Amino acid sequence: MTAISTEPVVLDADDGHRLNRRMRDLVDAGAREITVLNPRSRHNLGVGQHGPCTIRFAGSVGYYCGGLNNGAEIVIERSAGWGLGEAMSAGRIEVGGTCALGTGASMRGGTIVVRGNCGPRTAANMKGGTLIVEGSVGYLAGFMTHRGDLIVCGDAGEALGDSLWAGNIWVAGKIAGLGADAKVTEPSDEESARIHGLLRGEGIDATFDFKHVVAEQKLWYFNARDPEAWLRI
Amino acid sequence: MSDHGYTQGRSHIWTSDTIRDIHAKAELGRYQIRGFSTFRRFPSWDDLVFLPAVMTRLPLEGYREHCETRTVIGGGKPDLVARPLELDIPVYLTSMSFGALGTNAKMALGRGFSRAGSASSTGEGGMLDEERAAATKLIYQMTPSRYGLDLEHLRLADGIEVALGQGAKPGTGGLLLGMKVSEKVAAMRSLPMGVDQRSCVRHPDFLGADDLQVKIEELREATDYQVPIFLKLAACRVEFDVKIAVKTGCDAILLDGTEGATAAAPEYQLDNCGIPLIASIQTARRAIDELGANGKVQLVVSGGIRNGVDIAKCLALGADAVAIGTSALIALGCNSIQYEDDYAKLGTAPGACHHCHTGRCPVGITTQDPELEARLGPDE
Repeated sequence: MTAISTEPVVLDADDGHRLNRRMRDLVDAGAREITVLNPRSRHNLGVGQHGPCTIRFAGSVGYYCGGLNNGAEIVIERSAGWGLGEAMSAGRIEVGGTCALGTGASMRGGTIVVRGNCGPRTAANMKGGTLIVEGSVGYLAGFMTHRGDLIVCGDAGEALGDSLWAGNIWVAGKIAGLGADAKVTEPSDEESARIHGLLRGEGIDATFDFKHVVAEQKLWYFNARDPEAWLRI
Repeated sequence: MSDHGYTQGRSHIWTSDTIRDIHAKAELGRYQIRGFSTFRRFPSWDDLVFLPAVMTRLPLEGYREHCETRTVIGGGKPDLVARPLELDIPVYLTSMSFGALGTNAKMALGRGFSRAGSASSTGEGGMLDEERAAATKLIYQMTPSRYGLDLEHLRLADGIEVALGQGAKPGTGGLLLGMKVSEKVAAMRSLPMGVDQRSCVRHPDFLGADDLQVKIEELREATDYQVPIFLKLAACRVEFDVKIAVKTGCDAILLDGTEGATAAAPEYQLDNCGIPLIASIQTARRAIDELGANGKVQLVVSGGIRNGVDIAKCLALGADAVAIGTSALIALGCNSIQYEDDYAKLGTAPGACHHCHTGRCPVGITTQDPELEARLGPDE
């Protein structure tokens, strides 16, 4: 497609057949700012996008908004449904309101910032990147998080960090309960400075005292490490 | 005169195998884990015979008259699938991960199935570059753990398989022991090297069929409606599971019988979960047909398929295509008579080896050890 313009583009989701494809084509043609009116909590908005472009949804979005994002900056003015930014590998997503289940599930890179609360399974299977929640998160947040940082400025629900791999969870408020194989540690000054720096970069007051939740690593290995033990069958 | 079994230990409950198993578990402090498939005896494909054409229908001339074997998956929904998966034969390679198998094995299988005009599948460990290069048609398997999943790899795929269950171990996720979590495997799975990887079984961003329907739409949006979406199910509550799968809007269902193999699973699961494929195919066929989805949703079956005869029986029972795994590994050399000393070190012998879980595969297939892998040339 021939470059059309770098002027801001306004689309209306009410007109939107194959809206995601249209946005990708616009970015390839040079668009750097796209505003989508009337998202009306539709599912699968902003899926599979790439940068460099800022896509702004003027309202709330449904499931999987920003899913598989590969470099776009996505701004959601209000709230988001399940699976926000799932499997994203690059880019940034900001949500002005709250998010439901599975925010940042299996994300590999990039940054997600949620100004409100998040539901259960936040950052489940996260593989990398940074997920910042200014509010609180529900149960099973950080479930099997492989890598990356889940930063929670509010409280965390039950079973936090269940079956963690090498991911890091930071909680400023209360933790209702830890999941299997999760433990709380005191962060070092360097670690706290790094997290506070990430928050300041997102315009968030960085005076919290965080608890650092990591894997106890008891689930990483079966008890028997003797190689011969695997030959008993 | 009978001694009531006292001297010969003839208890039907506490057999010598049972006693040995309990002793092992008491020492290990865990359940037994092994590779391969169930050792339990199920109804066999050998119990079925064909009724070849005689009078009511006349037979084709073998190797002379044309027999159409071309198989298309995803061809019933041209508005949703721009590039259906076209196979020259109704057989492709089922999902076996890089991690469970070594690089050379993945490459060899990709090349072999490409030569046969067919497809192979990534398995759960992400898309291996070498495998993508070797396979002309490659299905990307998306498991609950989502190892290596990103947009780029999804768009490189010729089909996407959302794994919901596996016949060898329905109700649980993948299992890859630390001996096989090499530096390369760990990097692809974003795992610490050497951990005993026990994967999750529930996807992180959908919890039921209604959500999965939206998820399938998301995958289509991300890949621009190019390739078919499969759902992989373990054969359990077949009628209802298949009907719900059809309602999610998928293009094909891969139904995996309990005879399906694995590189590692708890043995109690291998022998006690799921139902055999032979008892599942007709039920699945009826379920699809009752929903009016014949021709729109293809039925692919897998699990314990040994040869062309088994494949033909699956097709006769109602499958559109068949996916094979273990038989392809055996064709590569699994359990072949060579390196017998190395089989012995595992406490087994050619023809009886089920030690994929150890990563010490004597023939270099289910291993990440460079020296063992070198025994399998991907070009040979």
